[in-house]
Amino acid sequence: MNAKKQLTEGLITNNPVLVQQIGLCATMAISTTLFNGIGMGLSVLIILTCCNVVVSAIRKIIPEQVRLAIFVVVIAGFVTIVDLLLQAFIPALSSALGVFIPLIVVNCIIIGRAESFSSKEGVFLSFRDGVFQGLGYTCVLVLMCLFRELLGSGTIGGGLLNGASGLITLDGTGAGFRIIPEGFGIGALTLPFGGFLTLGLLMAVMQYALRKSGEKKARKEKEVKE
Amino acid sequence: MKKVIDFVKPAVILLLVAAVVALVLGLVDMVTRDRIEAIAEQTMNDAMQSVLPAESYEQLDVEPDGEVDAAYEAADDAGWVVQVTEVGSQGTVTMMVGVGSDLACTGISVTDSSETAGLGAIASQASEAGDNFRSQFVGQSGTVAVTKDGGEINALTGATITSRAIAKGVTTALALCETLG
Amino acid sequence: MFASLVSISLAAILTNNFIFSQFLGICPFLGVSNKMSTATGMSVAVIFVMTMASAICWVINEYLLIPFGVEGFMQTVAYILVIAVLVQFVEMFLKKAIPSLYSAMGIFLPLITTNCAVLGVVLLNTQNTYNFLESLIDGFTGGLGFTVAIVLFASVRERLQFADYPKAFEGFAICLVSAALFALAFMGFSGMKIL
Repeated sequence: MNAKKQLTEGLITNNPVLVQQIGLCATMAISTTLFNGIGMGLSVLIILTCCNVVVSAIRKIIPEQVRLAIFVVVIAGFVTIVDLLLQAFIPALSSALGVFIPLIVVNCIIIGRAESFSSKEGVFLSFRDGVFQGLGYTCVLVLMCLFRELLGSGTIGGGLLNGASGLITLDGTGAGFRIIPEGFGIGALTLPFGGFLTLGLLMAVMQYALRKSGEKKARKEKEVKE
Repeated sequence: MKKVIDFVKPAVILLLVAAVVALVLGLVDMVTRDRIEAIAEQTMNDAMQSVLPAESYEQLDVEPDGEVDAAYEAADDAGWVVQVTEVGSQGTVTMMVGVGSDLACTGISVTDSSETAGLGAIASQASEAGDNFRSQFVGQSGTVAVTKDGGEINALTGATITSRAIAKGVTTALALCETLG
Repeated sequence: MFASLVSISLAAILTNNFIFSQFLGICPFLGVSNKMSTATGMSVAVIFVMTMASAICWVINEYLLIPFGVEGFMQTVAYILVIAVLVQFVEMFLKKAIPSLYSAMGIFLPLITTNCAVLGVVLLNTQNTYNFLESLIDGFTGGLGFTVAIVLFASVRERLQFADYPKAFEGFAICLVSAALFALAFMGFSGMKIL
């Protein structure tokens, strides 16, 4: 398995959110500002990579009967570490994401990768898988945040970028760049309604694109045969 | 004999993993605990400073009753700061209310809420609209209410419920201070 | 006391519905809502586990984690272990004691361990510093809220099979769009409270 194939799998063909359709809860709940999206995406990426590496390293000594319990304990451990570090060093992010940080424990992406990938493959491959699947998750989150934030509140980079100076801030005070004047955004998109709708639309676009590229490939193969 | 080993081995390994995890977490906790506590104290202090500036605050012995969470007396008889939690539209709204020694509100700060983004959430944001909304409470005394209920507070557009909750919180805080003062 | 219990229940079932306003438990919600029978089976299992987990985790937090001063960093680990073990026990117990109920909800039980609504309700109970009774009620009514959402949605999904929508929306995509409309409808409950 080469790196390029793993990367396309994580980002597109086997994207955790849009294709495997798991880990949806947090995706919809926190994708209201770019700050939340990037923060959540990177947290999951780090936790997923660490868990993949550890599970892969101890895969030979894990007894079959209690493997899920062991995965869960390892995942919960890393989640708590990230949670504590965020509370101590990026408190604004910690309070913005709230209960969704500890809830990464039950994010199906992580336990799913442990069960289907890293408990079978080597450490290095698992590490790469964690990074790429995490990237795929982050990309979807960022896309959703951009869409919901731009059309919903009319800004880009809320919480993360200071609109006046254009600098990156981590204390959550940045107002972002205002693209649409205040009061003209589609406010409903920032509500739970918008979360469901945006993810539904993104999934539909993805299914459309995958089907088109599948048809194209099939056509090409047919031409080659003829 | 083999059966016993089969039964015990998974349990021992699970226990070992859990022990290692607990150990690592204990270490991380040791490193971060002080910082987290300092940040919590700082946030609390900032919120109190913003509603009623004072040298220091002393916590009063007030029984939490579902609305009032805690009350603090500011130094030099400047007044009190009361932490109140009210039911808003999406959940609870926790706020700090500053009350001067003349029993008039000196300022409010919403410290925790899960109100609708873009509507009720403005009450807790550091934006112009948020500042304008909160500054209306300064100088209010007695019973505070939104204009719809016959009071003087202009409710946030599309967030009457949030505005009402905050007005009620301020009223509660003022009433408490009357008994304290 | 009674008023606070009623307002907790009201919030858990309607205003702060786990699925439509807090986004918790979306995966099982989409996974098993395609048929009314599986939806009710899952709901019963969720109500049961959520109530039990709320009660047990409260006791563990109060009498084990807090006395040892480790509630800050062992909470998540302890809670998820409790839930995993609880689910396992319930499964074993049902298999032996009530086989008919086991055959009805058995296959849903393992799924509940990773249902974020269960861990969510326990964590929120702690965050809101609920007492034992409040936690118990919150867990039970949270499960009821899950049931309301999933049963309503299952009946919509049964009709979706006959609807004519673009092919790209097949599967979860159309479900999410329908769920969006539900979320909008549930917004109407916001602000409801006991005076």
